Amino acid sequence: MAETSPKAEAAKLLPFLALGERADLQAAAAQHVLALTGSGPGRTLLAGQAALLQALVELAVAPPPAPARDAARALVNLAADPGLHKPLLAAEPRLPVRLLGCALDPHWPWAEEAAAVLANLSREPVPCAALTEALAATEPGESGLERLVRALCTPGYNARAPLHYLGPVLSNLSQRPATRAFLLDRNRCVVQRLLTLTQYPDSSVRRGGVVGTLRNCCFEHRHHEWLLGPEVDILPFLLLPLAGPEDFSEEEMERLPIDLQYLPPDKQREPDADIRKMLIETIMLLTATAPGRKQVRDQGAYLILRELHSWEPEPDVRVTCEKLIQVLIGDEPERGLENLLEVQVPEEIERQLQQQDHQEREQCEREQQELELGPGPQAEKAASM
Amino acid sequence: MEQQDPGTTFDDGMDSFVEKFQSQPYRGGFHESQWEEEFEKIPLFMKNSPSEIDPLENPDLACLQSIIFDEERSPEDQARTYKDEGNDYFKEKDYKKAVISYTEGLKKKCTDPDLNAILYTNRAAAQYYLGNFRSSLNDVMAARKLRPCHLKAIIRGASCHLELKNYVEAVNWCDEGLQIDATEKKLLDLRAKADKLKRTEQRDIRKAKLKEKKKQDQNEALLQAIKARNIRLVAEAAGEDEDSASEGLSELVLYGLSSENPCGARLSVDDQGRLSWPVLFLYPEYAQSDLVSAFHEDSRFIDHLMVMFGETPSWDLEQKYCPDNLEVYFEDEDREALYCVSPSSTLLQVLQHPRYFVKALTPTFLVCVGSSGFCRNYLRGKKVHQVK
Repeated sequence: MAETSPKAEAAKLLPFLALGERADLQAAAAQHVLALTGSGPGRTLLAGQAALLQALVELAVAPPPAPARDAARALVNLAADPGLHKPLLAAEPRLPVRLLGCALDPHWPWAEEAAAVLANLSREPVPCAALTEALAATEPGESGLERLVRALCTPGYNARAPLHYLGPVLSNLSQRPATRAFLLDRNRCVVQRLLTLTQYPDSSVRRGGVVGTLRNCCFEHRHHEWLLGPEVDILPFLLLPLAGPEDFSEEEMERLPIDLQYLPPDKQREPDADIRKMLIETIMLLTATAPGRKQVRDQGAYLILRELHSWEPEPDVRVTCEKLIQVLIGDEPERGLENLLEVQVPEEIERQLQQQDHQEREQCEREQQELELGPGPQAEKAASM
Repeated sequence: MEQQDPGTTFDDGMDSFVEKFQSQPYRGGFHESQWEEEFEKIPLFMKNSPSEIDPLENPDLACLQSIIFDEERSPEDQARTYKDEGNDYFKEKDYKKAVISYTEGLKKKCTDPDLNAILYTNRAAAQYYLGNFRSSLNDVMAARKLRPCHLKAIIRGASCHLELKNYVEAVNWCDEGLQIDATEKKLLDLRAKADKLKRTEQRDIRKAKLKEKKKQDQNEALLQAIKARNIRLVAEAAGEDEDSASEGLSELVLYGLSSENPCGARLSVDDQGRLSWPVLFLYPEYAQSDLVSAFHEDSRFIDHLMVMFGETPSWDLEQKYCPDNLEVYFEDEDREALYCVSPSSTLLQVLQHPRYFVKALTPTFLVCVGSSGFCRNYLRGKKVHQVK
């Protein structure tokens, strides 16, 4: 019997994935496709099958009894590979729009999966642009972006899906200036809604997405004063996840922002090191201008960072923390360097700095390895003696 | 004016009318002395309308009023009139009257939901300015039942929640309102205000909790210190069970520590873990007393007596209360005995005496002059022991 190529095998699945097919056959076919997406070669194989991809998308947005969940999960795996974005969008150019509809539909049970696909897709500029366009289409009364923020910030927006992945979606979208402009609109209440989510306990995906969004927003140094001022008051929400159950003196306590005073003895710090790093980076961005630096200093950031530094177990986060502390306790820079985001760095210095960065990273990696290896080799030595 | 005869020309009627006044004075004119007051009473020329219309005083006005509030007009018309009336009162800041007007309007139970929603919302505003925030809130909720997206009602509701210190609700209402109009400035301001107040309130709760915990820890430490020294405590009221379980004991301590001594002195502990007690000295001879607010447990009686009786007190008529003459006793009520304390002993030593019971966390001692007649009399008939 002639060997059938994997390609041909895959093509055989196509009829069973068609809408209107028997539900059990559809389900089996979808599961098979999902299994294929679990491996590199499998994904590459599927990439070449435009008709199959199309059918997959149709299933992902189809109502029960279609195997929408498995189809969506297959798409999640496919979208995780940036190399597959082109074939996916070629097979179904309206992929972002349709998945967006599902993700923001309060009654769609697989909205989380749809959001996860979008989170993966929006990492790359082309799909991100497509998604932004899809969001810009104004529904009566509420733009897509407004709806997305509302879905992210309203608990119970979708009773069957937690929608944590809307966090990373927003974070990716906030790389574009139009999104940031909406988030930082002073005539609305948008960025303020995101702030409490930095403490969201049930999902590091959501927290990470929100913190990433805030960090991207803080590149807009024209908005720093407003962000640090009473209308937004961003700093306490960035410091709170970094604060532990410290026992400050009465005098020190009064210098801290209200949200950081008298924290209970069981206060936990942000468990995810990457998020901790992003929070510190965000505060660092806010210190780029002289007025911003002053506000951050005046609001007692140093105390929190000092305690964080003595607790921080991750070397690279500790280094980032040190740099920020240096900025806070260091002297004011000379004229011409007031806005660190706008300074022109001479080439030679740029190269030196990059070298320093490289060395630091190596140092960190070495420390990391030492931590992991621990006393192992020495114990062996002792045993062999 | 006389009825004109049908058929006569106007001129004819006019002529005879004017002619009449050549023989009769016009009766319907103003009185010379009070024409201004009477002028004011004519509805058309009124500058200010009276708040209550008395039909006897102002028949014309009462007439007009009955036309406006005529029961035969449609409920919608009547309700609208009441709404307008209420709005007028509102503009004059007469909020009580405004509430009444709006209530009358609502009583008409007209079928126009917009009108009723406005009546509720306006009444809510009047109630708000009267400080009746709960009633105001009830009214906006009724308004929203009819018109859920009525922005004025939502703003009013958020303001009420703010006044009632329901900060979470205030923020929620603002968010609902902002969904309808995302740029409504009043809602943005209210939301920011409510959020800040909520966070301040949360801080205050945390602060109070921590303070309470600290206080409890301190009290616990004091309790432990007392226990460690084997000092016996007794409740204030007579007849309490002396063999208190440790639970009862700690309650005693905590009660004693939280309710201050009438003189404001409290048991305290220093950095080295040593206690200082408020100690009461009684002088039965002259019915006087002294309170040492912080008697360090390691200090001796004589040290304090030297200070207290450095100069003889004013009540010491015989000037005999000098530190060297004084004898200190404590009473064992149960056994009706007195124990004489050596002035050179420390407070701690005496407190640890098996028959010493501290009442109300304030050790008490009796002082008199040993050689005096009073003292001899006082001690007669009582069992006296010496404490080494």
